[in-house]
Amino acid sequence: MQFGLTINGESTEVDAAPDDDLASVLRSEGYTGVKCGCDGGVCGASKVLIEGEALMACGTTVEEADGTSIVTIEGLGTQEDLHPIQRAFVDHFAVQCGFCIPGMIIQTKELLEENPNPSEAEVREAIDDNLCRCTGYQKPVEAILDAAERTNGDEAVAADGGTLSDRRTNTGETHD
Amino acid sequence: MTDPDNPKPDGGTASQPEQDPSAFEDHPLEWDESENNNLAPDERASISLPAEKDDDPKLVTGQAKYTADYEKKFPDLAHARVVRSEIPHGKVTTVETSEAEEMDGVHAVLTPWSEEIPDAKYTSAGQSYPEPSPWDMNVLNEHVRYVGDPIAAIAADDVETARAAADSIEIEYEADDYVLDPEEAYSTDAPQLFAEDDVENKIVGHDYDRNRMAQIEGEIGETVAAFERDDVHVHESEWETIRQSHAQIEKHTSLAYADEDDRHVLITSTQVPNHTRRQLAHLFDIPIRDIRVSKPRVGGGFGGKQAMVVEPIPLALSLAADRPVLYEATREEEFHAMRSRHPMKVRARTAVTEDGAIEAIDLYALSNTGAYGSHGMTVAGNVGSKPMPLYSKVPNARFKADIVHTNTPQTGAMRGYGAPQGTLALEGHLDEVARDLDLDPVEFRQQHYMEVGDLDEIAGMMGGEGAERRIRSCGLDECIERGMEAIGWDSLEQPDEDHLHRGIGMALSAQGTGVAGDELGAAQLMMNEDGSFHLHVGGVDIGTGADTAFIQIAAEVLGCDEKDIVIKSSDTDVTPFDYGAYASSTTYISGTAVKKAAEDARERILYWGSKLLDEPEATLETGDGAVYSEETGASVDLEEIGYEAAYGHEEREHILGKGTHCTEESPPPFAAQFVDVTVNEETGEFDVNKLVVAVDCGVAINPGMAEGQVEGANHMSYEMAVSEGITFDDEGRPEVTDFNEYDWPTAAETPTIESILIETHEPTGPFGAKSVAEVPTNTVPPALSNAIREAVGVRITDMPITAEKIESELENGD
Ligand code: FES
Ligand code: FES
Repeated sequence: MQFGLTINGESTEVDAAPDDDLASVLRSEGYTGVKCGCDGGVCGASKVLIEGEALMACGTTVEEADGTSIVTIEGLGTQEDLHPIQRAFVDHFAVQCGFCIPGMIIQTKELLEENPNPSEAEVREAIDDNLCRCTGYQKPVEAILDAAERTNGDEAVAADGGTLSDRRTNTGETHD
Repeated sequence: MTDPDNPKPDGGTASQPEQDPSAFEDHPLEWDESENNNLAPDERASISLPAEKDDDPKLVTGQAKYTADYEKKFPDLAHARVVRSEIPHGKVTTVETSEAEEMDGVHAVLTPWSEEIPDAKYTSAGQSYPEPSPWDMNVLNEHVRYVGDPIAAIAADDVETARAAADSIEIEYEADDYVLDPEEAYSTDAPQLFAEDDVENKIVGHDYDRNRMAQIEGEIGETVAAFERDDVHVHESEWETIRQSHAQIEKHTSLAYADEDDRHVLITSTQVPNHTRRQLAHLFDIPIRDIRVSKPRVGGGFGGKQAMVVEPIPLALSLAADRPVLYEATREEEFHAMRSRHPMKVRARTAVTEDGAIEAIDLYALSNTGAYGSHGMTVAGNVGSKPMPLYSKVPNARFKADIVHTNTPQTGAMRGYGAPQGTLALEGHLDEVARDLDLDPVEFRQQHYMEVGDLDEIAGMMGGEGAERRIRSCGLDECIERGMEAIGWDSLEQPDEDHLHRGIGMALSAQGTGVAGDELGAAQLMMNEDGSFHLHVGGVDIGTGADTAFIQIAAEVLGCDEKDIVIKSSDTDVTPFDYGAYASSTTYISGTAVKKAAEDARERILYWGSKLLDEPEATLETGDGAVYSEETGASVDLEEIGYEAAYGHEEREHILGKGTHCTEESPPPFAAQFVDVTVNEETGEFDVNKLVVAVDCGVAINPGMAEGQVEGANHMSYEMAVSEGITFDDEGRPEVTDFNEYDWPTAAETPTIESILIETHEPTGPFGAKSVAEVPTNTVPPALSNAIREAVGVRITDMPITAEKIESELENGD
């Protein structure tokens, strides 16, 4: 069957069975930034924005997504010009293996649009179903709090909001 | 470091045994370190600065490719599915495959008797060779030893077809008695998992009549005699740890295909590409040169991928189906049939004099290795050889372990590698001893722990498991001092409510850096004609940032910008040999190989610089992307050197550097952990307010990444203290099949973790580095147990620490 999806601003028709899960469909369309870490609905790695809401793509059927507008991680920044949230994750060393990170960034995008100034507890609550095995959550939480500073809803406000400036990161901390 | 003006209570040496002077010669304190290895902070151009991770832009934009992402490159790719044993122990009598074979879209169905399934025995442990693990496994099994043992494998056009085919397969068994409890298993009455000749490459101390795959023992001094002395008190306690899952978010995934030259290629999520290649060659009887193992981005390893867990299956299926095969384990299989941390019982005994001098430590571990023995002996060895040397001043020490089989899934390597189990027992025990003697737990430890200059014999007492070593860097004092400050050790305020009590607990830990005398890393550096470089490293980045650390090390030596180095790591056809990412060795072993390769290339760069500047090489330096003269200030860019070397009129050369490194050294990094907890004395409920962990990792090559490693490790350690791990029902079926049931601390359930890096300089490491990523995995279980003891006076010795256990202890105490 054919389903109409708008993926990262581009409308496409995909050929799939109605109950195919959206994560597999997106991945086979080449959006492999959508990751699958569990057998469905538990790890958060496959989160995408569906009509602005961060949902696990593996837990959504393509039929349910028919006619919607979807944003995957590929729809945020580019390697040359990172989105402020992506930039904040990089600057805070919040990325280790990176497998959970697309889902975590998508969740952050939804959070900051709804709540541009979250508290630490609200951040932790927001990413509570984004499982990460590598970071201990400390640096992602710091990155998200900083991303809130760098953005105002959807707008980048900080000077270094969205450009890949220098490979060396200066987080202003001293290390001894 | 020790302050000479402020000696320890006993001067640090009161109970130090007399040391054989020749040992000092074998392990000199002064290390012959090259001049460029010890850079003062203000001379560092690349190392020790928080450089952005090389692959971060790819990772945060979803462009990084992990194994499963290669699927699209293979239009005729088939998906694998494995049928696993439903019973804990028995013989497979029939496997009915005809329905599966006839299904549309099924390309291969393999059973233990299929031609493509090798008869050879192997171990899945990705270790040195010959492996210090028994060859006791088959790719598919007729004799099944746990619920989840693989019996049949299928390749089909898509996952759904493969699943349907798998479901259609019917298996009949002749069930045997089974045993799940290691204490029960360790007897001649228990059901026996292996007959002697079921196993090749048997390990020291094996006794299959009692399900024992190995027994190890080591001793320094006269432990038994020390325990019998009149002037000592004997303290004893027993500790138990959980079966923890690696739970990497990327599941075990492996893709096998034959390339255009009919060579066997595996794109696979592994920590050990070279070991995997060797193991596959052994199993399938294919020459090593005809197998290529290539590691793309890896979504976490933690030791779970230091094993050849899934690779033989897609390889066998691709041979049978004559097409590429992708095998991605299910999350359920991750919990059932991949790897986990060895659950253990560890008994600690000490002989201590009235004034708090420890005369002897004796540790005994009973380790449950599960159905097969990979990593069984070596992990158990580390239960003693990693934590015990922390107390190097104790004159008598003994460690013994029995490693037994049960009908439970295979355990394996996991971050910490035995040290978490040993650290729980030792650090929990010493805390209790200090309380018995009314001594300050920190000062009590300080009387006995390592300091620079100590000759550590305990690490070497298990022979192959370690090596005697000299301590040349030690930041324990500072770790403790800074940790105490950060947790508020001296300023703890009790809550207003009477039923709530706060306490701080602490624990120390030491690990190793690489396996002494038993590892190898290699690297190659090529200069391009535009002055940029390609760095080829066998070392494996599994998400730790190793590639970036390698680039920083090379950039420091070459004096170039990090972005002028392109790295290719871990592809056995292209990159030099390396043992892989484990044992905290990556920066230390592979990083030193990179440093050597860069130094080798730098010599040729200086030669060309000297030619172009017409100045003697001895006066030249590299830095800021150029070669410059320290005397005249004249300089020539690396770009020009690259061009001249490639296209010069008089002489040409491809500038290539190579480096290979192995060492007898394994310097310990150190950690001091602090846990602040509030306990409700009525219900036993507790809240961990904060974790602080201070780590001496030598010079941190990239402090931002190093802190990330510390925090991630500490979170894993926290999980070991508070969650159940993988549990089984009475029939050996795992009760945990997904992340919901694997009850681990999520973001909202994780306390703040403060990581503190204490810089020392380890002369044997590249630019003074030692390891960082394992030592903070060891410390939360004992520190939390100690904190709860401090808060409400009860002691929990079996993990996990739960409100129910605390409550019941509180009731018992009344
Ligand atoms: S794969 Fe979708 S939530 Fe885990
Ligand atoms: S960075 Fe590896 S799982 Fe989150």
